[in-house]
Parts: sequence; C-alpha cells; structure tokens
Amino acid sequence: MRTFLPVSVDGWTISEPPRLYSGKEIFEYMDGAGEVYLAYRFERLLVQRYARPDQEEILVEIFDMGASQNAFGTSTYMRGRGPGVRVGRDGEFKNGLLCFWRGRYYVCVKIERENPRATRALLTIGKMIAKAIGVDGERPRLLGCLPAGAYQPKTVRYFFREEILNTHFSLPEGILLPLKGIAEGLLVRLKRDRSHLLVLVYSDVADAESAYQTFSKTSVQDDSMAGISRSQNGTWTACERINHCLMLNVDASTTKGAHDILATVGRRLP
Amino acid sequence: MKNPGMTRRDFLRTTGVAAIAASGVVPLLGQEEVRKSTNVVLIRHRSVVSGNGVADRRILEGMLDEAVTMVFNAATPQEAWSRVVVPSDVVGIKTNVWRSLRTPIELEETLTNRVIAAGVSPEDVSIDDRGILSNPVFQRATALINARPMRAHAWSGVGGCLKNYIMFSPSPPDFHPDSCVDLGALWNLPNVKGKTRLNILVMLTPQFHCLAPHHFDKEYAWTYGGLLVGKDPVALDAVGLKIIEAKRRLYFKEDAPMRPPAKHIAAAEKKHGVGIADMQKINIIRLGWKEDSLI
Repeated sequence: MRTFLPVSVDGWTISEPPRLYSGKEIFEYMDGAGEVYLAYRFERLLVQRYARPDQEEILVEIFDMGASQNAFGTSTYMRGRGPGVRVGRDGEFKNGLLCFWRGRYYVCVKIERENPRATRALLTIGKMIAKAIGVDGERPRLLGCLPAGAYQPKTVRYFFREEILNTHFSLPEGILLPLKGIAEGLLVRLKRDRSHLLVLVYSDVADAESAYQTFSKTSVQDDSMAGISRSQNGTWTACERINHCLMLNVDASTTKGAHDILATVGRRLP
Repeated sequence: MKNPGMTRRDFLRTTGVAAIAASGVVPLLGQEEVRKSTNVVLIRHRSVVSGNGVADRRILEGMLDEAVTMVFNAATPQEAWSRVVVPSDVVGIKTNVWRSLRTPIELEETLTNRVIAAGVSPEDVSIDDRGILSNPVFQRATALINARPMRAHAWSGVGGCLKNYIMFSPSPPDFHPDSCVDLGALWNLPNVKGKTRLNILVMLTPQFHCLAPHHFDKEYAWTYGGLLVGKDPVALDAVGLKIIEAKRRLYFKEDAPMRPPAKHIAAAEKKHGVGIADMQKINIIRLGWKEDSLI
C-alpha cells in the first residue's frame, strides 16, 4: 500500500512514518468503530500523514479490505454523505473528507478545516492513490438483481452482517425476521414510493425458509394474503423466498407495487 | 416522563423527602418510591459555546457549579463539591480525548480545580482516557468522576457515560458484541464498581448522526449548549439519547431512531443493574436556557 502514496503534493510532504494496523489492531487506531471495517472483512490499514508549514494536515487512510466486494460494501456504508467527485469509484467529498473505493481498497483522505489549497491537494492525493491502485475491481454480482432506474443509487447498502443492516434500517414493529446465516445482503430505497427493498442471501436454504416462515407467522394477519403484511401506518411489507434468497419490499404503498418489484428482482437474481 | 416539568422547588421537595426517608421517619413504601426514581440535571446556556466552537470557561464553570449544587442538594457549590469528594480521596477523572469531539479542556480543568479546592491533594488527582489502566492515580483511586461528550456511534448507537468506561477493561473489544449491548457490565468491574461520584454528559455540541465510522462531520453536530449532570450514568445516557433522537427527527424530517439502536442503555438497567433507563422513572431538573431543549 505504501507504493500508492505520493511523496509530496504542492508542498505537502510525508510528515511521519506510515503506520500499519492488521486485523484487530485497528482498535489501536480507532475505538469500537473499527468493528464496522471488521464487519466488511477488513485486513490491513495504512495511515499516512502529510504536512506543510502553516497549512492543514492531510490524513490518508487506505483500508485493504481483501476483496473488491468488501471495499465496495464499506463504501456503501458511508454513501450519501456528500456530493460525488470523480476520484476512484463512487468518490464522495464533503466537509474535508474524501472517500472512495477501487480494487480491494477503501480510501479516506481528510483535512480538519477546508481551504481551497488544502482541498485541491487532498483531491490530488486521492486521485494519485486511485491511479496507483490500478484496477477497478468488480461490484458484487448481487447488485445485478436491481432494476436500473427503479432505486435511488445513493441509498444502496451492501453488507454481510446484521449489525450493519441495523445501522441503516429497521423492520416495521411486530415483524420478525431471523438474520442468522446471512451470507450477504442488499438494501436500497425505491424511487416509486421511497419504500425499502431488502435482499438477503442465506448460506443455507433451510435458514432462508426458516426466516420466511418466521416472517409469515409474525406478520401476516390474513391467511389469504400469504407473504404480505399491513403496517399500522397503512403501508405494506411483502416477502418472498427463492432458493437461498429472501426478498422484502418494506413500507410499499400498494400490494401490487410490492409484488411487482419482488417478481422483477426474483427474475434477476444471480 | 414521570415529571417532565419539574422545577428546582419540586426537586428540593423530592430530595427533602429522600433525606427524611433516610432518617427512617417515613414508611418503607416511601423509601422504595425514592429508590425507584433518579434525578438528572439538564443545564443549558445560550452563550456557552462561541461561534468558533470553543467553550466559554467562565460560563461553563458556572453551569457545572450550579448543576452539581442541585445534584447534591447543597446550599453552595463549595458544599456540593465537598460531598462529591473528601480530602482523603484519590480521584480519577475519566475524560474522552477523541480529537473531533473531546471533553472540553475547560471542563477538565474546572473539574480538577474543584476537586483540589475540596481538599484533595494535587498528587491524588489525575485526568486520563486511554491510559487509565497504567495510571498510578487511577490504580489507587477511591473516587471517579466521569465526563465526556454525547455522540452518535457507528457500532453502539451512541457513545455516552456508559461507554466512556470501556477503557477500564483490559480488553475493550470484549464489550463490542451485539452492538456493545453489555457496556453496563463495565460498571461492575472491580476497579470501577461503587467508585463513581459524579457523571457529566457533555451536550455542548452533540453529534446526532454518523456515516463515516470514525470521522466527525460537523453537519451532524449542533450547538445545544448543555450539560447533563447526575449520579446515575444510565439515566444521563437515556436522557441524552432522547435529545439526540429528537434532533434526528427534526433533521431527517421523519421518525429516525438511533441506528444501530443504543440497546446498551436499557440493558445497563435490566441486565446489569447499574442505573435507571426507564424515562418514566427519571426526573429531569431543568436549569438555564430552555429554548429548543428537545425534551
């Protein structure tokens, strides 16, 4: 990862030796927030600081996530915090913090207080790192199930762990859905009615079926409407299972809309 | 809320009852009722934080003194601080040094000064965060004071009084499972249990949301100008959480509960018995600036 770093940019130079953290050593650098990166299968972190007299310090963090889908997932955890910039993949910059992913790496470049010169240098460093990484990396195949144009791109969250899902979403009161055994998951907000689409891939078909049965028992009020539940606010939550996958449309405005989107997603599952 | 509009006079009446109960004059039922509720002082000042985000030392000192006087039902701040610590105490002040939103230095210095003014030897007072386990003063501490800012946290929902003691564990990651649900257990560790005399949850510029796990985004912090002060860390966190959630509703313009849910606060009461999280049993005593208090 050191080879990705420029030696200097516009007067900013490396101000101290880089620091490297592996696995749970991440807690020496940050507190419990390190669990977020571990939940995305974090492997190593390189921290490098740049200084220039009378200017903001520039902090670079390069997270080696082991695989491009992990780096992509990490980026979706934070997506939506700022405007997009053309740095790496899905780059965003706001309030002095640039974040992007490329290949197996997730990258943050930061200054405490923005000024035009420091911001330019920060973006330049980001672009140099992205270029040095070299390969784009693949997005997870599961994203292919999302029909283009139907969802808000900045709301995509890709995850492997329940705790990450809980950061972005909670099921309507009363609905239970076991998440034990999920291998990967995808959450987006639909343009149609701002309802949530949740796709969960379980490691085992039996776990997926068990989750579906639990949903049915705890949420379906009418036997004639299998797989769909009405919330107190009048919206609908629909659930369907195909093999290892469970698909939910939560807080849909109509039952037809919910069934339609689940049918579409079901046909596109990898 | 049992009594959301509680005034200073109401509080004194309540604590007066407590004093009588302690003397054994009132029936047992009265004691039970007192024990089943807890008091939290919320004090705010419109000008405690300047435009550049720095705390005004003089105002902050006044707020702290007034709040502690109320918490300890004392006539003067001096009397109150003499109830927080006694000259023979060895005092560890647990702070939080996260550089983006740290415990204000002005507050740290005021706490140290007040403890020394109460008669504790300067050699027997120390402020520390990450080094507390190897700090000689903390190692022989007879009293602890806990002070940190309230902020949204990517893994535990919020970081408040309860979470601030995670550095008392030789292995903090042991407390991370299930979104840090067992943070309350920290307060039953041998080096902690029964030692905390005062908790201060700093609500000067709390952070109500975070997207980047360990980065601070000023977009998600606001000037609230408050301190929550009390003896019960669980109650302080519970009240702080309500304020944060109210701010989230205003900002996001929809119901926006804390995510991940800060379940360690309720668990601290129900599972670990270290305080009261049930808002029905928490009496909030409001002092100072009332506008936009969000609770």
